[in-house]
Amino acid sequence: MTTQQPPRLEMRRVVKTFGPVVALDSVDLVVARNEVHGLLGGNGAGKTTLMNVLYGLYRPNSGEVLLDGEPVTVGSPRDAIDAGVGMVHQTFLQVDNYTVTENIVLGTDVSGALRLDLDEARKRIRELSTRFGLSVDPDAVVEDLPVGVRQRVEILKALYRGARLLILDEPTTNLTPQEVDDLFGSMRAMVDDGMSVVLITHKIRETLGVCDRMTVMRDGRSVETIERSDTDADHLADVMVGGTTGPGELIDAAALGAVDAEEVEVTVSSVRDAVGVSVQGLVVNNDQGHELVPGFDLEIREGEIVGIAGVAGNGQVELAEALAGVRAVRAGSVEVGGRSMCGRPASAWLDHGVAYVPEDRHRDGILPTASITENLVLGSQRSPGVRRHGLLDWGAAKQRAVEAIEQFSIRANGPATPAGDLSGGNIQRVILARAFARRPRMLILHNPTRGLDLGSTRFVYDQVRVATDAGCAILLLSEDLDEVIAMSDRVIALFKGSRAGEWQKGTVDAYEVGRSMTGLGEARV
Amino acid sequence: MGEITEFLTLMIPAMVPFLLAAQGTVLSGRAGVFNVSQEGLMVLGAAIGFLVSFKVGSNTVGLFAAFAAAALFGLVLAYMTTQLRLDQFVVGLALYFAALGAAGLLYREVIGVTMAPPLIPTLDDYPIPLLSEIPFLGEVLFDHDLVVYAAFLISAGIYWFMYKTRSGLAFRSIGENPKAADSLGINVTWARTWSTVVGSGLVGVAGAYLPMVYTGLYTEGMVAGRGWLVIALAFLGGWRPHLVVAGAAFFAGMEVLALRAQVAGIGIPHQFVLMLPYVATLLVMVFAFRWARQPAFLGRNYDRESRLVG
Repeated sequence: MTTQQPPRLEMRRVVKTFGPVVALDSVDLVVARNEVHGLLGGNGAGKTTLMNVLYGLYRPNSGEVLLDGEPVTVGSPRDAIDAGVGMVHQTFLQVDNYTVTENIVLGTDVSGALRLDLDEARKRIRELSTRFGLSVDPDAVVEDLPVGVRQRVEILKALYRGARLLILDEPTTNLTPQEVDDLFGSMRAMVDDGMSVVLITHKIRETLGVCDRMTVMRDGRSVETIERSDTDADHLADVMVGGTTGPGELIDAAALGAVDAEEVEVTVSSVRDAVGVSVQGLVVNNDQGHELVPGFDLEIREGEIVGIAGVAGNGQVELAEALAGVRAVRAGSVEVGGRSMCGRPASAWLDHGVAYVPEDRHRDGILPTASITENLVLGSQRSPGVRRHGLLDWGAAKQRAVEAIEQFSIRANGPATPAGDLSGGNIQRVILARAFARRPRMLILHNPTRGLDLGSTRFVYDQVRVATDAGCAILLLSEDLDEVIAMSDRVIALFKGSRAGEWQKGTVDAYEVGRSMTGLGEARV
Repeated sequence: MGEITEFLTLMIPAMVPFLLAAQGTVLSGRAGVFNVSQEGLMVLGAAIGFLVSFKVGSNTVGLFAAFAAAALFGLVLAYMTTQLRLDQFVVGLALYFAALGAAGLLYREVIGVTMAPPLIPTLDDYPIPLLSEIPFLGEVLFDHDLVVYAAFLISAGIYWFMYKTRSGLAFRSIGENPKAADSLGINVTWARTWSTVVGSGLVGVAGAYLPMVYTGLYTEGMVAGRGWLVIALAFLGGWRPHLVVAGAAFFAGMEVLALRAQVAGIGIPHQFVLMLPYVATLLVMVFAFRWARQPAFLGRNYDRESRLVG
């Protein structure tokens, strides 16, 4: 009987192109019943695209989809939902000012279209959240909820619709280690309940931790499907990048979760004695005028990497922007290389060697419709290298862009390519190229590798190392705790804009940091 | 006492153009389509409503014709923004000019230049039995023409739809986060299309009401900027139908007050009174921006396969 059952999902020879770009090149995927199936690969690999095809968000050029052996045509998310497919997107698709219940019932139960009776729904939600260990308050407004809870709401949305197959797109990005454990527990409960789960991820360790089988994707193709018992971290890393990993890349591997961060030896420290950045009593408001950073002290020495670990929304953006000189400082002082910077215009910070790699690289990092050349010139448009007779010397600017494309291995059709057409990894390379062109004294990196493929992630880390060797003080804010721990000389846990704990390299325990990030730890400053 | 009764009795019908047009604006706005062609659509509605009533001899037919004409413009707006994904503001402005031109042209073609301007009968009052006999309230609220009652019923209906039904919950979510709505199987294009068509139609009716309520005459410029005020009213009411009713009362009150100031010949120029709605809207936007919230995706088009917008 069991051997006769068709798999839960079968995707055959799926092709999807965006204009000239082939995003999916004849991809096959088989997900069995009652399994957690890992879909592993970098951001350009096509995992999310493949799942968006399954969920009806992208229309494939060709290919077949079978659910429980039945061929299905998925033309819209509605078809996918009706076929029992649920998807939790990387950016939560929620209506911020609706309650949990309202978000969950949205678009369901057409028969009750003329009334809005949510008592029944509330009961179902409570029942589901108990069954799968996803505790939420059905009446809370989602914009007030922390990321971990909002994710549970997303999962409940799918469960409420009776999903048989649940897709989770990089679900652990913003979670603390404890929350990740809880999530994996819930995933197990779903699989035991008869569901199948697809886990999209680029983190090897979590794939090994929770998946029964995994399919590795690379460059829009499915490379290999592997049983959990037949593989290990090294093997998966090899398959992901399609080559061999050298021995000097242990730190990178740790950041990607292939090995435990604790195992990484600190080989060379480039920390110098001179103080690079000194921040005292920094007070910063958020966009709504609330005081989000209530007084922050920080010292970064030259060549030192200070990592800030925290759940999104605890003042990271405000702190980063204030230290980059693009957000007003309400009180306190910021000294970079011994010079007081507060109150100066952003251009003065730039000229003094403060470089900022923002979290939202599309929105804050580039001008999407401007060319690579133009994006690279931004900020240094007044510098002598690109000026002639008081006007911009586009020839020199283009020359610079060509060099940057070469040096930073930016994959583009040339310097005239609009930056918005590049992949996330290549956009990040453009931003880094621009930052490093100024020989920064201080570099602020906010989620610098989020959504990047393995190659680009490595590239970012290599550049960070080059910068620290040159004596640059680095502030690394990341929601990827593994990354913070692996990269930083010192880790600071941030909770509600304040320091909730601090650890030197080698003494960091991820769970302890996680507790501090959620305000539960004992501060040891 | 008599003064107040008279003021309120005048204010209620003066609310109707504001109410109908603003509820129409709010309707499409909550789905994310920001219509800016109200002034044009109201002028067109006034012209068509007048001309059809004049030719057919029925104000009711005139009102429906005005609805249909403006709804057609709404369909163009919906198609251009949901299918072709053109900028809502640009298309709206183009439609404003097109409607304005069409109105002037139609009047000249149908009526031409005449010595005595043509007249249509104004709308009859239908006092509601029993209710209209309540002292004070009956006179103020329940002794008007049918369009007045319809305008309030439509406002209530839109409120009920948006806040008391599941479809309304889904509908509002489109203006807040169309991608979330789409991912839950809610048809964004359809909702935006029907709400823009119906909403624009209501704006047309709002215009048609003007020649039918006061003088029975059609004059160029009789809409007198009410269409632009309606946009301010939508913001003032925070894009919520029930608050729009309150805002419409305020706007209409100012209008009546300005008229009376003009008639009574008080020292203040009536233009100053006419400015009050704009000033009030600005003040509300500045000081109560938390309260005067607007749909998060207002004025932005949605493209499912767009890879940039998250």
